Amino acid sequence: MLEPILLCSVALIAVALYGFYSKRHIIKMIISMEILINAANLLIVTFGAYRAPGYVELLPQSLAILSISSAGGVTAVALALMLAVYKVYGTVDVRKLRRLRG
Amino acid sequence: MIELILWALAFGCCTIPMVGWVSDKLGVKHLREWYSSLVLALPFIPYILLLRLISRIGVIVYPASSLFHSILAVDMVSAFFILPILLVGLASSIYSASYMDHDTGLNSYYTLLSAMILGMVGVVSAGDFFTFFLFWEIMSISSYALVAFRKDRWEPVEAGFKYLVMSSAGSALMLSGIAIIYGIVGTLNFAGIALATRTPTLASDPWIILAISLLIVGFGIKAAIAPMHTWLPDAHPAAPSPISSLLSGVMIKTGIYGLLRFYILFQTLHVYWGFILSILAFLTMFIGNLTAMFQTDIKRLLAYSSIAQVGYITFALSIGTVQSISAGLLHVFNHAMMKGLLFMAAGAFYHATGSRDISVLEGIGRRMRVTGILLSIGLLAIAGMPGLNGFVSELLIVSAAIQRELYIQATLTILNFVISVAYYLRLLQRIMLREPKGEVLKVEEAPATMIAGMVILTSLCIFVGVYPSMLISISEAAGRAALDIGSYIAPILGG
Repeated sequence: MLEPILLCSVALIAVALYGFYSKRHIIKMIISMEILINAANLLIVTFGAYRAPGYVELLPQSLAILSISSAGGVTAVALALMLAVYKVYGTVDVRKLRRLRG
Repeated sequence: MIELILWALAFGCCTIPMVGWVSDKLGVKHLREWYSSLVLALPFIPYILLLRLISRIGVIVYPASSLFHSILAVDMVSAFFILPILLVGLASSIYSASYMDHDTGLNSYYTLLSAMILGMVGVVSAGDFFTFFLFWEIMSISSYALVAFRKDRWEPVEAGFKYLVMSSAGSALMLSGIAIIYGIVGTLNFAGIALATRTPTLASDPWIILAISLLIVGFGIKAAIAPMHTWLPDAHPAAPSPISSLLSGVMIKTGIYGLLRFYILFQTLHVYWGFILSILAFLTMFIGNLTAMFQTDIKRLLAYSSIAQVGYITFALSIGTVQSISAGLLHVFNHAMMKGLLFMAAGAFYHATGSRDISVLEGIGRRMRVTGILLSIGLLAIAGMPGLNGFVSELLIVSAAIQRELYIQATLTILNFVISVAYYLRLLQRIMLREPKGEVLKVEEAPATMIAGMVILTSLCIFVGVYPSMLISISEAAGRAALDIGSYIAPILGG
């Protein structure tokens, strides 16, 4: 049962990377970011559940809960920035955010 | 002692908004600024006690026993990293008092500033991945908000969004790496991981290689190592100058700390690490230095030079001897002082003229004499003039490379030092020696608190340059503690 869940996690990472590279709406980018974090969470919980057969370990679950809550904080800041982007640029198209050359 | 430092900073985070509200209501000028500087100065007292305690007993574990070994474990390496964080944090808080006086929302500014310092101190003193990740996210989230603090202008918003997306993707990849390591060894405690990875069969396990690559990417994004550096030259110039000096001075060093910690934890596998890290280090140096040559914006130039300096430190870590690691740690401290000072001086010019373009700022050092002299000291220090601190650690990095007979690498590093001297001296000549013209003729000297913030860092640059032996002895103790993994494991798992 371990392998299908790991494959699912890899698939989530692939979906997230696809979103980063092909989507131009800021909210879709934020969703991709969330999917990437959730792929990591799935990996943590899976290893916690299947590492030792017979019981579920507690530490990975608490790490996953910590990660979910911190992802909530990151998303809040990202959405606030999205509002600021909309006020300054008048658009939420990521391709218009190309003035910096970095 | 470490809990006192963290408690003092957390207390500051909670009380700064209240004090700020009171100072707004009563109309007391600068009460909030003085209070936040006081709160950030307070942790120095437990820090000195901490340093004395660690030099006696080696590793401090707090709390002594806990569920899952979720602890703070402070050894000499962590203690060495805490010092620049507290120093640059205090200096930038003092500097902010007059730099930020035209901005609104200062209550949240100072709260986020102390939260970021709390996060950084926590990251370098964590003893397991759970604590590490918790403080890592505190540091990251507050730095996203601080980069985009002036949210009504286009540059901070765009740079902040770019930084947020890259950095949180990096955190997610780091978390995947942590998950894989947990799946292999069954613990998140650093000492437990070090104990478990001592079996040599693990070196060829594809999972551990995947986990190490994910961790390198996660820490590398924070430390701005070459292919992952693209957020830094946008985010550091766009942030307010005191925040730039914190980001460039110490926050990228938390990525370095992560690399160092795991480089040592996976010591049995360090052939892979050292080789990969040295390639990345040279890529970082060359990209940073060569791009910095062509910059017209003073803060972008300094940001690219930060990338190059991260390359030097990474190279020092990749050699992996006591000398090289202590030289790298010394350079972490020195670069924090120098780059903090330079970003603050650039910010003082920006505050006076409203421009960061070097061609506009030509000759401004003749009008703002004190700031100009402080900037010159910073530039000469980072260019490696003997008698100032940059020279000491750059010399030690090169000599550590030569001791291991890495002559090609040492030559390439020296070549990079020479390239960097070219743009530092050119910047010095344009700011200090040209005749001022246009707007620059009307500027006045920077306010006293801004000067005070810079003077703290400048005096440390000069002190370490003239009398390096004290800091060298601490950094050597840290280098020895970093490589002596047995005495790191024993107090944590045996106690």
